[in-house]
Amino acid sequence: MDPAASRPAVVIDNGSGYTKMGFAGNVEPCFIVPTVVAVNESFLNQSRSSSKANWLSQYNAGVMADLDFFIGEEALARSRSSSTYNLSYPIRHGQVDNWDAMERFWQHCIFNYLRCDPEDHYFLLTESPLTAPESREYTGEIMFETFNVPGLYIAVNSVLALAAGYTTSKCEMTGVVVDVGDGATHVVPVADGYVIGSSIKSIPIAGKDITLFIQRLMRERGENIPPEDSFDVARKVKETYCYTCSDIVKEFNKHDKEPSKYIKHWRGIKPKTGAPYSCDVGYERFLGPEVFFNPEIYSTEFTTPLPAVIDKCIQSAPIDTRRALYKNIVLSGGSTMFKDFHRRLQRDIKKIVDARVLASEARLGGEIKSQPVEVNVVSHPIQRFAVWFGGSVLASTPEFFAACHTKAEYEEYGASICRTNPVFKGMY
Amino acid sequence: MRDKSIIKQVSEPYKRFGYTFDSTTIRLILLRSLDKGVELDYHWVEFDDVRYHIQVSMKNPQHLLVSVSLPTPPPETVFMGGLPFGAIEAIKSAYGVLVQILDPPRDGFNLTLKLNLSKLPPDEEYKQALLVKVASVREVVLGAPLRVILKHLASRTVSSNIDQLVALVHRPKESFFLVPQVDKVTVVFPMRFNDSIDIVLATSFLQEFVEARRTAGLHNAPSCLWSSTPPLELEGAPAEALSANAGFVTFVIFPRHVEGKKLDRTVSSLSTFHAYVSYHVKCSEGFMHTRMRRRVESLIQALGRAKPDMENGKKGVQSRSFKRLSLKDGRTNSN
Ligand SMILES: Nc1ncnc2c1ncn2[C@@H]1O[C@H](COP(=O)(O)OP(=O)(O)OP(=O)(O)O)[C@@H](O)[C@H]1O
Ligand SMILES: [Mg+2]
Repeated sequence: MDPAASRPAVVIDNGSGYTKMGFAGNVEPCFIVPTVVAVNESFLNQSRSSSKANWLSQYNAGVMADLDFFIGEEALARSRSSSTYNLSYPIRHGQVDNWDAMERFWQHCIFNYLRCDPEDHYFLLTESPLTAPESREYTGEIMFETFNVPGLYIAVNSVLALAAGYTTSKCEMTGVVVDVGDGATHVVPVADGYVIGSSIKSIPIAGKDITLFIQRLMRERGENIPPEDSFDVARKVKETYCYTCSDIVKEFNKHDKEPSKYIKHWRGIKPKTGAPYSCDVGYERFLGPEVFFNPEIYSTEFTTPLPAVIDKCIQSAPIDTRRALYKNIVLSGGSTMFKDFHRRLQRDIKKIVDARVLASEARLGGEIKSQPVEVNVVSHPIQRFAVWFGGSVLASTPEFFAACHTKAEYEEYGASICRTNPVFKGMY
Repeated sequence: MRDKSIIKQVSEPYKRFGYTFDSTTIRLILLRSLDKGVELDYHWVEFDDVRYHIQVSMKNPQHLLVSVSLPTPPPETVFMGGLPFGAIEAIKSAYGVLVQILDPPRDGFNLTLKLNLSKLPPDEEYKQALLVKVASVREVVLGAPLRVILKHLASRTVSSNIDQLVALVHRPKESFFLVPQVDKVTVVFPMRFNDSIDIVLATSFLQEFVEARRTAGLHNAPSCLWSSTPPLELEGAPAEALSANAGFVTFVIFPRHVEGKKLDRTVSSLSTFHAYVSYHVKCSEGFMHTRMRRRVESLIQALGRAKPDMENGKKGVQSRSFKRLSLKDGRTNSN
């Protein structure tokens, strides 16, 4: 037997905002780090400006620039404390945007965080349901040629999120995954482990937009936050204090009646001077998450509420799957973590569905009563890294190793084998 | 790829940026446990097939059970009670009251330590150093026999030159060898890699490594040699130990390399030597691919610039054949 198959597979879920990585068989990832690389480009500038610059010194400068880099929190810290490091975000809106940065990022993940020998482990990586096959080939090339991995499987993140729910409840590989991450929101219907590609809906609003919105609200109110820190503060405020309300007008009233109960205080330290400061956190606590339900408060371009998008998605799926889909709407991603998010979503979808049932009954003259449609939004405690967890579960089944593309296959057929990754038993 | 100057340029900066071999995962778990009690049951595997398991229960969040399984030892090495010789003493001297060794260890592991966080020293600096030491447990255990022998060298307590070859495990089913003598210890690493490109890179890297030490005036560092065939010291070693596809590296350690505080550093860099080389090889490979990709992309750009002059009409068809290589275009086309 392949000895690598006796070791736990490495599972890495690279998101636009955060990368979740660890070993299969565990319930949580070892590390969750921001998907960012800080590169020192000063070498390049030095050699360009120096008068003695010849090709060799330029070449050497290039080498140095290629090696002097950091990822994750360390990258953010470096760029904050010195201007020689430039940040690069390898993934944008769920798609790899910069392959050099991505490769460096993986290099550090494997050698400096997980500290494993990539030749010793099978790898499970994730991708968004909209990723182009070309991108999978590139990933395959890097994994097999740079890192020499013995086997690779690239899974669609929504399918993994569904697999995560399946272990906690019942054997259900049919459902709609609502994945709201940092850079992308996807509503993905899955039937028996297969993504119904034609019905996927994407929304241009995700976690980062909520952060930007909160940052804007706080700035407009004139809160005293150092500008270089304001995005980060907005994000932390969002993650700590935001919740989903059931009715926005009532919520405004509640805040106005009892401000002391609802207004929170944020305390920070100015990065430049080290002086402490504090600011208030008010309406943005519920206005942030409200963007998903009333997008027009944030954007004029996109105005369809998330519950309506989910309903449209299910309505566009094959008719025999619809009931099963309404019954298993699974949440995934950090931006579904707002308190009561699943309640509000369930209520709003139910409203749309009930209205439609009523309308059709009215059309038919009230003679035929249709069976009520069960709407169920599933929420579980590991939602934040449901994709990673699903990957961890699947990669510890024996079927996983058989479903992987192996190094030998790669060498025989080339990178194009990575274009497709079979759904395997254990997924449903 | 056989061009040594590239290897030199690749290996040079790594020396600057360094690399430590303690476990990042253990460090993180320790920090989290110190911060607030957590419930944990964690399994993972690091390089050279060292497996770890950490368990913490909410009932007793100050106590961590850390289990380690070591690489399968080759037959020529001496293991006692599942551990290399001197390991128990090395653990006791490294951690003191902080840990208790459980006997027997957990099923499937060579060693289980019970770590009591409440016994950490109050002094912050000392505490941090001790935590890093815990994260380096593999080094403490695997490096133990090496430490014993080098300590004898430092105190010059080797009675006579028996010229006996000592085999110590450092990778699964692979050992490195020591020849302890009164005034020096010779250390020989057979270097092996699986992938053919790795073998080429490692061989060049090692030659470069030896060269750099000779020229850089590192007179205080142990002298070091590379050879493609087994050095004389390995006479009498088992046949499997004598095959190494990336050659043999020999270090000669003198008492001055292991005096006082230097002992720790020498033990640590020798016991992580293979991992150190392997890390450089892997990174060099990644680095070369990045370069190759950039080269390909600039070629494609050059071709793209040249195109309109050649044939204007067929542009669409032309660009399609480059789709795979220029990803950004590929994506917008197919979405
Ligand atoms: N407790 C929380 N409450 C609200 N938002 C949170 C919470 N924790 C994390 N987030 C937000 O979730 C987002 C990160 O989620 P996630 O890790 O799922 O995204 P990602 O996988 O990096 O991105 P994508 O899937 O879009 O590529 C960030 O915007 C973060 O601010
Ligand atoms: Mg994600």
